Order: sequence, then C-alpha cells, then structure tokens
Amino acid sequence: MSELKNDAPKLSEIKKAHPFRVPDNYFEDFSSRLHTRLETEKQALPKPKSRIIRLLKPAIGLAASFLLVFLLVFWPLKSFLPNYMAKNNSAIETTITEEDTYLSILEKIDENSFFALLSESSDEEIDDFNDEELMSYVSSNFSEYEIYLETDNE
Amino acid sequence: MKSEDSALIAELKDDNQRDLAFHKLVKKYQERLYWHIRKMVLNHDDTDDILQNTFIKVWKSIENFREESSLFTWLYRIATNETITFINSKKRRTMLPLNDATDYLRDNLISDPYFEGDKIQMKLQEAILLLPDKQRLVFNMKYFDEIKYEEMSQILDTSVGALKASYHHAAKKIEEYLRNTD
Repeated sequence: MSELKNDAPKLSEIKKAHPFRVPDNYFEDFSSRLHTRLETEKQALPKPKSRIIRLLKPAIGLAASFLLVFLLVFWPLKSFLPNYMAKNNSAIETTITEEDTYLSILEKIDENSFFALLSESSDEEIDDFNDEELMSYVSSNFSEYEIYLETDNE
Repeated sequence: MKSEDSALIAELKDDNQRDLAFHKLVKKYQERLYWHIRKMVLNHDDTDDILQNTFIKVWKSIENFREESSLFTWLYRIATNETITFINSKKRRTMLPLNDATDYLRDNLISDPYFEGDKIQMKLQEAILLLPDKQRLVFNMKYFDEIKYEEMSQILDTSVGALKASYHHAAKKIEEYLRNTD
C-alpha cells in the first residue's frame, strides 16, 4: 500500500469501493433462476449410455471398421471389375473341387486296391502294344539267353 | 475453508447429493464471482449472463475437477475464461481489433443504470478501461479484491514476477491518466 502511495499518489487517494450496485434481490433470486436454466440444460444433454453399450463399444467399432474396409475394397472391385472377380472365383472353386475329389478317393481306398488300380492301368497300356511291336522291343533290348531264361522260369 | 470445500466437492461428485451441493456452492461463491466478472465487463446484464454460463460450466465439468488447485481457484479460472471469451466475442461482433474493446465497455459503463460511483470513481473506471485485458484483470484482482499473487498465478496461469510487473505498469498508467485529466 505504501508502495502504491509512492508510485501512484493520485490513485491511492481514491476510496477503494465498488461503484456498482445490483438490482434488488438479485443474489437472492439468482440461484432459482440458475436452477431453471440448469433444468433446461439437463434436458438438452444426451442421456448416459448403458454399461453394456459402453463395454461393447470397442468391439462394435472394430467390427464396423472391418465391414467398412470390406465395403470400400471388395464391393467396388466386384462392381467395377466383375469379369476379373468371376474368373478368380471360378478358378478357386475348381481347384478346391478337384483337390477335394482326389483326397476323398485316396482316403477311401486301401493299399491293395491302389496297386490293383495301378496294374489295371498297366495292362491297359500293354494292350495298346501289338505283337510285332512287342517282338521288336524284346529282340532289341534283351539277348536270346535272357529271353530263354524268362521263358524257362514261366 | 479447505476442508469445507473438500466436503462440498465430494458431495458434488455424488449423484444423490449433487443438486443440493451445487445449490450450496452457488450460494457460497455467487457474489465473489459476480464482482470479479462485473469489474471486467462493467454492465450488470452481461455479468449476469457470464455468471450463469460460469456455473453451468462448473456443473458440467465438476466430474473432471481433479482438485489440483483449490475450488475457489478453479471457479475463478472458469469465470475469468468465460469473461475473456465474452469480451472477445463482443470484439468479433463489433469488428473491433482484438485488443480494443474500450468503446464497447465505456458505453457499457455510461449506460449502466447500476453505476452509482462519483466523478472520481467514474474517472478511475475509465482509466482501468484503457488497460489491455490482461493488465485490467490483474489490476482489478489485486487492487479491489486483494488476491495474493501466488493465488492469482494459479488462476491466470502466469508467473508471480510477470503479475507483479503487470500490476506495476497498470498502476503507473492509471496514475498518468488521472494526472492528465485533472
């Protein structure tokens, strides 16, 4: 205060009082007026969400993001490149079908049946040779002695 | 005082007691906050709007009050921010430069039916109006409310040294104005 007297003597001479006043009963009524406004504000505020929704919110958000990515990537590809997508899809389907078929056959047959099937197919291949071709193949690849031995064994 | 406020804060955070506790809080601080705002905007009607906005904000954000400062400091800070926001919005609406709301506030002062000071007090208010917003705030808080610099530092988020310098400059400017208009 003494500092103020030295630095600002004119200011320190002025009586330190509020030159303002308030309307009658202003502070008595203020609380009730504020209460009325607060009630209006409370109605305007969004209701708090239930606990389940709050807990599920991250999972729902994640699922929604995946769906959004799917819609943004897959759906435009399907719409704008229908031929490309159809080709890819049929290729995938074919591969899967063939693989499934072979696997199911192999699972069903036992070892003997498997070799029988192989020998059947060999016979068929042999049937495809005629006698002349067989004779020429044998005479060119085997000696007479080997042929004799094979014939003798039988 | 502090323990009283702590109890009040606990009640405000309890859903079952909130309404009554808020009523107590308003009754306790309404006058001090009113005068703090009034000294900045001068006009009663503007002060009334800002005071209501301040308490509405307090109601909405009481859950987030972490008690790092006292309740009084927190309330003052909200009231100060609301007041500065109000003055800035007036400046924008009247297309005034951001540092100049003097004319608007002087009109407020002259037309205020609730001003009952004498000639010298009117002159003091005019001198205060010429100060920049921050200096005006510091001067009012120190000169009229006699708030300690340390507390003011928490409210205004400014260092004690800067506040002391600000008050000193403000007092000098006011003294000069009073001397020149004698």
